[in-house]
Amino acid sequence: MEGPGARGGLTLAQYDIEIGGRVRRVAVARAGSGFAVTVDGRSLHVDAVRVGEHLLSLLVDGASFEAAVAANVADGTTTVTVDGTPVTLSIDGRRRWSRKDDHGGAGGPQRLSAPMPGKVVRVLVAKGEAVRARQPLVVVEAMKMENELRAVRDGVVADVQVREGQSVDAGTLLVVVQS
Amino acid sequence: MNKILIANRGEIAVRVIRACREMGISPVAVYSECDRAALHVRLADAAYAIGPSAPRESYLRIDRLIDAARRSGADAVHPGYGFLAENEDFASAVRDAGLIFIGPEARVIETMGSKTGARVAAQRAGVPVVPGTETPLAETVSDTQLVGTAAAIGYPLLVKAVAGGGGKGMRTVSDPADLVDAVRAARSEAASAFGDSAVYFERKLSRPRHIEVQLLGDHHGCVMPFVERECSIQRRHQKVLEETPSVAVTPALRSKITSAAAAVARAVGYTNAGTIEFLLDEDGSFYFLEMNTRLQVEHPITELVSGVDLVQAQIRIARGERLSLDPDRILTPAGHAIECRIYAEDADNGFLPSPGRIQALRAPSGPGIRDDSGATAGLDVPIFYDAMISKLVAWAEDRPRAVTRMQRAVAEYLVLGIKTTLPFFSWLLAQPEFREGRFHTAYLDAVLASRAGAPFVSAPASTEEIAAIAAALHAATTTPAASSAASEGAAAGRWKAQARAEALR
Repeated sequence: MEGPGARGGLTLAQYDIEIGGRVRRVAVARAGSGFAVTVDGRSLHVDAVRVGEHLLSLLVDGASFEAAVAANVADGTTTVTVDGTPVTLSIDGRRRWSRKDDHGGAGGPQRLSAPMPGKVVRVLVAKGEAVRARQPLVVVEAMKMENELRAVRDGVVADVQVREGQSVDAGTLLVVVQS
Repeated sequence: MNKILIANRGEIAVRVIRACREMGISPVAVYSECDRAALHVRLADAAYAIGPSAPRESYLRIDRLIDAARRSGADAVHPGYGFLAENEDFASAVRDAGLIFIGPEARVIETMGSKTGARVAAQRAGVPVVPGTETPLAETVSDTQLVGTAAAIGYPLLVKAVAGGGGKGMRTVSDPADLVDAVRAARSEAASAFGDSAVYFERKLSRPRHIEVQLLGDHHGCVMPFVERECSIQRRHQKVLEETPSVAVTPALRSKITSAAAAVARAVGYTNAGTIEFLLDEDGSFYFLEMNTRLQVEHPITELVSGVDLVQAQIRIARGERLSLDPDRILTPAGHAIECRIYAEDADNGFLPSPGRIQALRAPSGPGIRDDSGATAGLDVPIFYDAMISKLVAWAEDRPRAVTRMQRAVAEYLVLGIKTTLPFFSWLLAQPEFREGRFHTAYLDAVLASRAGAPFVSAPASTEEIAAIAAALHAATTTPAASSAASEGAAAGRWKAQARAEALR
């Protein structure tokens, strides 16, 4: 991996990149004025030019792509927008506490927290109540809109941490549902 | 008129500034705390602070707006839309301060602002209204009376706030047993949103379209209607996409519906820009719904098919000029225009608001594209206001071409740092029902419910691969060594540092 390779390239780095559960191993090496990129063992020539802080112009074996790379501070993932299509990925397992993991995982309680700052206008469930997947639990008003926050899976409300009228910050725990 | 104070923010403040510039008028901005660096402040000739970020303490403060207008030496005030645009007290206060209010008379705003008052005005002008109660149902009306009144109108019906708008204070009732609870809920919502708990009943049409007619009225008795706008694509009673003309309106129907709109406006002595909203039933009959006594969000599509700058027309009317438009020309659409309201919302996560800093922004351009926006890179989308960041408008010779042009523009639009509804629009513009014009006001909510949160845009494997390559190259050439390669040693680290330095041109 280290040092000059067969094609005179040099492996700069190798990453395991996970997109929607599928992991791709991507190795990057210098090759002439561009890069030799190996994706799951398949080699591609990539000419890459940075345009400003967030944009990359890529010529992948001659095909042109514009990619915008933005880190998601909230959960440690990265969103790459390829010609207008957003793809969220995590690099080398770097994914912190995220709402998706937290709600969507098979086991453990769902911890519903406020995705944005706002005001709790309605609490629709009480402790001990059985709830169904997609049932609205709390309504938070922000940016002139009332937003229903819903259960991801069936379960029983284990805890309600907020009351109606309360102002909440992004990330404030609202409701815990035990599956 | 030499100087206009714009009592608003965001894209509409920018829109009015542009009209002022093109007319040689000096634009004056106002701003709340979080809007200090907003685009409308930067583009104006002068800007006045009007208080903290919460609308109630700034953009809704009549006293501070009037004070800013006086201090700036403005001779007129443009209210934009939202905030105080349909507030008769504001219109009166502006005129009492000796300034010109760029909008209709306060008494007309008051009449048409009451949904029941507006229904009476429409009926006087001989325009049909959706069957319903003619007077507001006050708190004192007994439950028995409510049930009796509702039975006379027929189910399903809508309980609506007299002072309502945007779907607030509104409930659909299909089962008479639910009526009393629905009235209670609508009243409580209306009281908190509008400070008025009065409601009324209206029969619910099964699959209506929302069709509206833009009007201009001058101070010399001339009222002119424009080609209808089709606004049936709504999510939770909020318009998300509008177009003109409507596929459901024939030239004969256009003639009838625009004449009806003009008749209502004339009956109340309407001046300046306004819009009359109708419900169009499947059998071609139409009913007056309400009047908006201001410039509409979706005014650009009318501008593109008529060639009339509506904001400049508002200013000309306000300074007493006569309308000099050819009525036949403005009732004949030149091509087709579509508007998408781009919101700072996470469409794939139940359209939750996505406030935050815009890291990068590139609006589409090129033939037939117009982007009315108040957003720029480096700006925060504040949590205090409506989350619309841009109105993307496409014009083309006909509807199919306008749709494909809009698809092209949506794909070009780049917004980094916040989530937007752009992926939702890529999906919507590809739907067969939309492309064939087969929709009504409940279409979008129904299809969204049936999708149960499925992502609007899912990348094919080939796109995922490009994303992975881009992420790897980005990481390899920017991040500190902390990131990757398990086998990485000191020498490799040095190589990497050097390679990084020369990595990307």
